[in-house]
Amino acid sequence: MSGAGTGTGISTGPRTERALFDAAAECAALSARCRALCERAAAAGADEAEVFGLRSESIAVGFEKDDMKLAQVDDGSTLGLRVFRDGRLGFASTNQAGEAALAAAARDALALAAINPPDPANRLPAASPVPAGPALVRPDTAAVTVERAVEIGRELVGRAKRADARLAIDKGTVRVGRSTRALANTAGADCAESDAAVSLSLFGMAVDGGDVGGFHYCGDVVRDLGRLEPALAQVVHEFVEVSLGNLAARAAESYRGPVLFAPDAFVEALVSPLIAAASAIAVQRGRSALAGRVGEAVADPALSIVDDPGDPTLAGATGFDREGQPARRFELVAQGVLAGYLYNSYAAHVDGVASSGHAAGGARSVPGLGPHALCVGVGTGGDLERMLAALGRGLYVQRFSGTVDPASGDFSGVAKSARWVEGGAIVGSVRETLLSGNAFELLRRLVVLSSAAQRRGGSLRAPHALIDGVSVTAG
Amino acid sequence: MDASDPIEGHDPTDLLAEVLAAAGDGFVELRYHKKRTRGVAVEKGRVDSASISEHTGVGVRVLEAGTWGFASTDRVEAGAIARAIDLARRAARSSAPGRNERVGALPPVGLARGRFEAPGVGETLARSIEEALELVLTLERRARSASSEVASSTCGYREIFEEKGIVTSDGAKAWTRLVRPEFHVGAVAARDGEIQRGREAVGSTGGWECLFRNASPEELAEKAVKRAVDLLAAGYPTGGRRRVLLSPSLVGLLTHEAVGHTVEADFVRAGSCAAGKLGQRVASELVTLCDSGASEFYEGAGGRLDVDDEGVPAGRTVIVRDGILESYLHDRESAARSGVAPTGNARAWEYDDEPLIRMRNTWIEPGGTSLEEMIAGVADGLLLDGAANGQADSNGEFMFGTREAYPIVDGKLGPLQRGVNISGTAFDVLATVDKVGSVFRWDLGSGHCGKGQPAKVDAGGPWLSCEVLVGGEQS
Repeated sequence: MSGAGTGTGISTGPRTERALFDAAAECAALSARCRALCERAAAAGADEAEVFGLRSESIAVGFEKDDMKLAQVDDGSTLGLRVFRDGRLGFASTNQAGEAALAAAARDALALAAINPPDPANRLPAASPVPAGPALVRPDTAAVTVERAVEIGRELVGRAKRADARLAIDKGTVRVGRSTRALANTAGADCAESDAAVSLSLFGMAVDGGDVGGFHYCGDVVRDLGRLEPALAQVVHEFVEVSLGNLAARAAESYRGPVLFAPDAFVEALVSPLIAAASAIAVQRGRSALAGRVGEAVADPALSIVDDPGDPTLAGATGFDREGQPARRFELVAQGVLAGYLYNSYAAHVDGVASSGHAAGGARSVPGLGPHALCVGVGTGGDLERMLAALGRGLYVQRFSGTVDPASGDFSGVAKSARWVEGGAIVGSVRETLLSGNAFELLRRLVVLSSAAQRRGGSLRAPHALIDGVSVTAG
Repeated sequence: MDASDPIEGHDPTDLLAEVLAAAGDGFVELRYHKKRTRGVAVEKGRVDSASISEHTGVGVRVLEAGTWGFASTDRVEAGAIARAIDLARRAARSSAPGRNERVGALPPVGLARGRFEAPGVGETLARSIEEALELVLTLERRARSASSEVASSTCGYREIFEEKGIVTSDGAKAWTRLVRPEFHVGAVAARDGEIQRGREAVGSTGGWECLFRNASPEELAEKAVKRAVDLLAAGYPTGGRRRVLLSPSLVGLLTHEAVGHTVEADFVRAGSCAAGKLGQRVASELVTLCDSGASEFYEGAGGRLDVDDEGVPAGRTVIVRDGILESYLHDRESAARSGVAPTGNARAWEYDDEPLIRMRNTWIEPGGTSLEEMIAGVADGLLLDGAANGQADSNGEFMFGTREAYPIVDGKLGPLQRGVNISGTAFDVLATVDKVGSVFRWDLGSGHCGKGQPAKVDAGGPWLSCEVLVGGEQS
């Protein structure tokens, strides 16, 4: 770690009491509430009913302008009820636990089902056994107190501030969440799991006299407190390096050619349209450029993408999806070839196949469709230094802020925290530089991926990518 | 709390006042917030979502031991609210040692008392969800059948009904009610492997008359289809610094992204580019830029707010007058620190969110030039229309997406080109404004602003001529 000041380290033991988190009891209680609402809906006339429940207790401490701002404690739960009646869909959710509210939710969902047109794909998936998922709760993580969260936050913000007086923390947050999710349906699904994690984030910039650098946001999520210190050190290190690097920005040059994308920018501008186009629903609805392309090359052979919900170091780790189907490792793109589409049960019923376990979403909406924990495979490009050398001259973009059309693959936006590279080395920060191109075309012009992937925000893993043919417009 | 007729409502402030009276000394803010959302969404003839969701509870904020504590409860009853007050106080006391600069007592300000109801609540809530479903099914079908090149279409309606009660220990006692309906329609056109989208969206605070004031649902559908089909054959503009004419929706994005965020007092304190510029020229003298909780010019602005979430009346703030920066946007704490009156910009998305400084309805005042005169005055430039997403940076650099572009050469409009992202530095761009249109329009009511929490905002203005960096193709 360099440039992040001298940390004093953070202790790992709880200081004051917090009510113990009994994950098994939490799961049992929430499952019982889900089953009860399911039975209520069935009794009220639903052919099929499904209830997804989410209970969350959280502690959050927020820092603003380098100082403690607010400590927040929340505790709440929501049940989302989906019903089918004669192939007609209805959905209602409530965060109220009282009898009247639950009766109203059942009534609302059935009333909606009464007026919607029928659809033969509107039915629950057959229940599948859900194997034991990844271990997501560690007692010490679930026991973190307000005092402890403040201590972590002070260390997070303090280290960044000690690193360089020019850094301004607009927002720093430590959130300790312990949650339980459960699903029960009339087709026999009945599953639950708990989770406990600490998330860290820093948002701010460097200010040097009249020079205000572009902001930077970074964060991480850890379930294992043993990983808290390295995660905190990495968040601070990145915040310091990138924010200071954003000072003294100058104009870049316009060109069309190679651009080096850091993992966040690579996923946002180039990988996200591919993921959206791999949705079976996008294919069925005629808005996917990947329709009919399973088994075909859709990107350079160096690109492989998997969804790995069994990896407990990623925030999206889970044992089951939003419909209670097992969440398994899923290969989406293998050596540039599209291996399959992402399915929830609705899309699966339309195509007459099995769900891939990718129903997604929370308790306040009908199940959607999406990956759980995205991992983009690494390449042979070596470390960042070698990737910069491979770029030679041009733009290195660490964050992309713009518009991405998942249907066409067109993207256009600003290169943020971007650097100009000469002779394979960073020579300065750039401002007002726009990128544009088409993701589906440019993924075929992948020059090389770095040899290591980074965990980003705790939610995905991806390498750096050098891509040719990108339009760069400088101000 | 008893279930009540949503149209008549039920005043929650007496219950809150009773709890507050027994809560002892110190600043306490109680915010009851009921949010009921009804929505339907259809794609290619299939109902993807039909839902009714309720999220209700009480958020408690206290100022204790020189710092803020926050807790929330989903149980709207005296005992649970009292326990939440105790939890918030304990959270504040536990976190107080982490605070360097203690917050003193908030100065007295004029706080809201009474009932405040925005127009359209009764009218919108009286409409059945069947009516919304019928509208959405009909318009989606109409869009899908409008052209043989339409591969898919979508249509959706959503309304958020909000009822709040805000009671503070220093005198606020306000009950507010409003409803925010939104409607969108989109088309995906495909030809020879090329896919393009068109999308139209509207949102307001009020009834359906406000929602469809500028265009009927049928006209919105026709426009979405035409845009998708026309874009199939459209090319890309050439990137570079260009003179552009921005439509009211894009002027709205400019005011919101380029200026609005940089004058939020929390961001100013962190060192945004607006810091220290009060009283200085930051824009052309043609520019007067305001933010208001009222729906000025005409009813229906999507960010209407009578009372903010600290109980402060949400009045009008002139941010830039004739090019001179006149005010920042404040909550009570930042206003006290600056020695000014709060501007009524503290907003929380749901009961379990803390109030943050947010915009409401933000606009540039109209001038005196017609659009025809503006086009005729451009020798080489672009006319841009259709707002996509946007983002602002601490250094004033902004970007936002546009959906369509028309070249202007020697005062004449050329054929449609694809929308691009544009960028610039807020005050530099505002200094280049040389013409301001005469016809005002709110045109961002369907959007949400993100700042840790969503917020419904609106923005608009007249057509505007200025100079920005346009992303586009490089040869």
